[in-house]
Amino acid sequence: MRGFQALLVERKDLTEGTTGRYHGLLHSGGRYAVKDPAAAVECIEENRILRRIMPDCLEDTGGFFVTTPWDDPAYAEKFLAGCREAGIPVEELSIGEMLAEEPLLNSQISRCFRVPDAAADSFLATHANIESARHYGAKALTYHEVKALIRENDTVVGARCLDLVGDEEVLITADLVVTAAGAWAGKLAGSVGLEVAVVAGKGVMVAVNHRIVHTVINRCKMPSDGDIIVPIHTVAVIGTTDRRVADPDHYPIEPAEIKLMLEEGEKLVPGFSQMRMLRAWAGVRPLYQETGTADTRDVTRAYTLLDHQRRDGVGGLITITGGKWTTYRQMAQVTVDRVCEQLGVERECRTHAEPLPGSEAGTNHTLGARLRRVEADVDYGRLVCECELVTASQVEAALSEAHSIDDLRRDLRVGMGPCQGGFCTYRIAGMLAAAGRPRLEANVSLRDFLEERWKGLRPVLWGDQLRQERLDELIYLSVLNVDHLPGPSTSRFGPVAYAEATDG
Amino acid sequence: MAESVVGVGGGLAGLVAAWRAATVGQRVELVTQGWGALAWHAGTIDVLGYQGGVLVAAPGKAIDDLGRRHPDHPYAKAGLANLVQALAAFGQLCGEAGYPLEGSLEKNWLLPSAVGALRPTCLAPASMIAGDLTRGDPMLLVGLEGYQDFHPELAATNLAAQGVQADSIMLALPALRRRAFLNARVLASLFEEAEFRAQVVAKIGNAVGSVARVGFPAVLGLERATEVRAELEASLDREVFEIPVLPPSIPGLRLQRILRTAIESAGGRVHDGMSVVGAEVEGTRVKAVLTEAAARRQRHSGDHFVLATGGILGGGMVTGFEQPPREVVFGLPVETPAGNGLAPRFFDPGGHSVYRSGIRVDSRLRPLNARGPRFANLVVAGSAIGGCDPIAERSLEGVALATGWLAGGRSVEET
Repeated sequence: MRGFQALLVERKDLTEGTTGRYHGLLHSGGRYAVKDPAAAVECIEENRILRRIMPDCLEDTGGFFVTTPWDDPAYAEKFLAGCREAGIPVEELSIGEMLAEEPLLNSQISRCFRVPDAAADSFLATHANIESARHYGAKALTYHEVKALIRENDTVVGARCLDLVGDEEVLITADLVVTAAGAWAGKLAGSVGLEVAVVAGKGVMVAVNHRIVHTVINRCKMPSDGDIIVPIHTVAVIGTTDRRVADPDHYPIEPAEIKLMLEEGEKLVPGFSQMRMLRAWAGVRPLYQETGTADTRDVTRAYTLLDHQRRDGVGGLITITGGKWTTYRQMAQVTVDRVCEQLGVERECRTHAEPLPGSEAGTNHTLGARLRRVEADVDYGRLVCECELVTASQVEAALSEAHSIDDLRRDLRVGMGPCQGGFCTYRIAGMLAAAGRPRLEANVSLRDFLEERWKGLRPVLWGDQLRQERLDELIYLSVLNVDHLPGPSTSRFGPVAYAEATDG
Repeated sequence: MAESVVGVGGGLAGLVAAWRAATVGQRVELVTQGWGALAWHAGTIDVLGYQGGVLVAAPGKAIDDLGRRHPDHPYAKAGLANLVQALAAFGQLCGEAGYPLEGSLEKNWLLPSAVGALRPTCLAPASMIAGDLTRGDPMLLVGLEGYQDFHPELAATNLAAQGVQADSIMLALPALRRRAFLNARVLASLFEEAEFRAQVVAKIGNAVGSVARVGFPAVLGLERATEVRAELEASLDREVFEIPVLPPSIPGLRLQRILRTAIESAGGRVHDGMSVVGAEVEGTRVKAVLTEAAARRQRHSGDHFVLATGGILGGGMVTGFEQPPREVVFGLPVETPAGNGLAPRFFDPGGHSVYRSGIRVDSRLRPLNARGPRFANLVVAGSAIGGCDPIAERSLEGVALATGWLAGGRSVEET
């Protein structure tokens, strides 16, 4: 938008990293009102802007902060003061009013405050961003993994990438390199001898197979594990944990973390631990620190911009790290401001003012919108994924850019519902074969996707979800005999399984 | 005097037990929660397809060996003789119903699956036999545009990669374009209409070429399946065969209907939509099972009881977070492997041991606790019995038949 010739390089698919692995909260800032006032201010500012520029990606659920019997009642006043200080609109509800809106909440809750939290579809939002960027001339290369930055004397001049699809090295040169690689930022800086200390803070989330609340529910206490439930599309997600992990690519989901989610969920919604869980996943937050600390929650959530010219005397490189999804736009703005400064041009940022593609109408996403759209579609009869209401034409249109069924999932939500790929995986594999796509070879795509679904199912396989998974086994083993098809069992586009748990 | 038998569970094992008990003159009542698991099955009788991941050529011989090495396997409990009898009797029943099953314990068929894998199975309906992959002659696979659950190109490509000459064609039929939802059930009804079949045959036209056999998704009629296929064969002047597809399974439903009809013609009753919520027991005897339907509780008393509620898939066993499987009707002891029983990969060649969970039974299929049989008048059939993973080893229907047959005969022996 500011006239640079821009190229985005992503090692896998867009949203494959942390962006696609969070609970989907658009912060009001209430979460940080006491603990991190600077982050709270950033959040509410960006909350207002994102509501303007990407309403189609947001559901205006609103949010509650509730004091349960397990929470320090004194925190509520600090919370109120913090919200007022940060400029976050806050209103107290009576418990009767709260229960009228959210009848499943614990009736023992003593106080309830409404704030402008919202639910965000980070997959949709990312696509809207990249579409806009492309409109302004930017290019994006997915499945291009940066192996190392290229440094000549005291200047970074580009990146050496591996094209995972073509399996060949690609050299890219640029006047300026920005790394926005999240928890992987340290690794990239390290490739040119710079030290950037980014801690990977793992967060585990669990999706419940029902939309048990229509409002984001936060515990009114200092941020800790399992203190939020976000309604997103047809499900609700509880999160999260925060554990430092050494390797952002390999980490486990521990049974103790799942147990904690069930216990904490029970405090907000009695009966929670007996509900059907759909899936668990984990993502890694990038938490920047100049000095080592033990507890990752003590690291600021506010983002950090590192101008390596000033910091290390190495030009051509800017690292933007830390932060959170809610403040992504502001992080981009300050980064490009610095790019302008370094390249000696003066151009105004407009990302706060221009609606993203798909959001021009200015209306929010609503729960029933997807169903309404698909019911009006002539292709309604050809549903490939009944759980998420995805039609065959949608899949056909998305095939050309996909390298795996998992890519289609991030674009279309196929396989994200209760049966976790039980029916749509075969159907999509069939469409791939019919489309004659050798690079998306049907058999490995099918097996990769079922393995990918399995990795997030395995931590929550009990009760009805275990039963559902057994039906998927009946289909793929007994009826289809996929396990005895010839050919490789998985491809390099296949999933990276969670590491084996250590505590159970 | 006839004794009364109450069966719980409408899958293959429960139906077979009820059928056998009814044909020997017992008063039979079968309570089922829903359609039963046959609606999910391929509709073939898989007896033993793989052992330790290795293809089984002759299931009869393999079961003989298996019984000796794995005394807890349901086949070891029921004995090979019961399986032989059950297959013969069930084959005869289906044949008399005009829907013959073909095959023997001597040799597994290798039939095409809907992805084009080679599916080992012991008995298959005659409607699938021309798909025999040991024949070596080419085949044409037919798909129907708009129907998502059978992709002929995928199957043909994979069969070709395994040395089977297979071609595919996708038919765009005007009769399907107007349909809002096309599932196997809808197509099975359409195929029973002569006009629809004529459209199909016309659309295939010359594409049939010189092949001697044409494969369709297994949706060629529900009630008049044999007739539908015969007419298609006559019109195409080729052999026609069916390939099992995603649920709902029409071949499974055909078997279900045959058994239900047999139970009812022998004087038995099948009650649908009844969820068993508990049981009344007195010492070592079961007095009644309790169901709930239409907002009221009902009591089903009897002299003998058959528990055929299935394993984790059927709903007979339920787990919780860090809670081992529990048997839902009688609270019978369940044997379960240590740990969560879930391998790191979905397609783990060893399967997931949690699915081996089940009730331990004696050779008369009575459930055991630490001291011996828990009840004198209760027997267990089908996947509720532990000791094997019937999906991994492809023994789902064989185990159901052998144990269902034995369970249905228990009441005869006891009196």
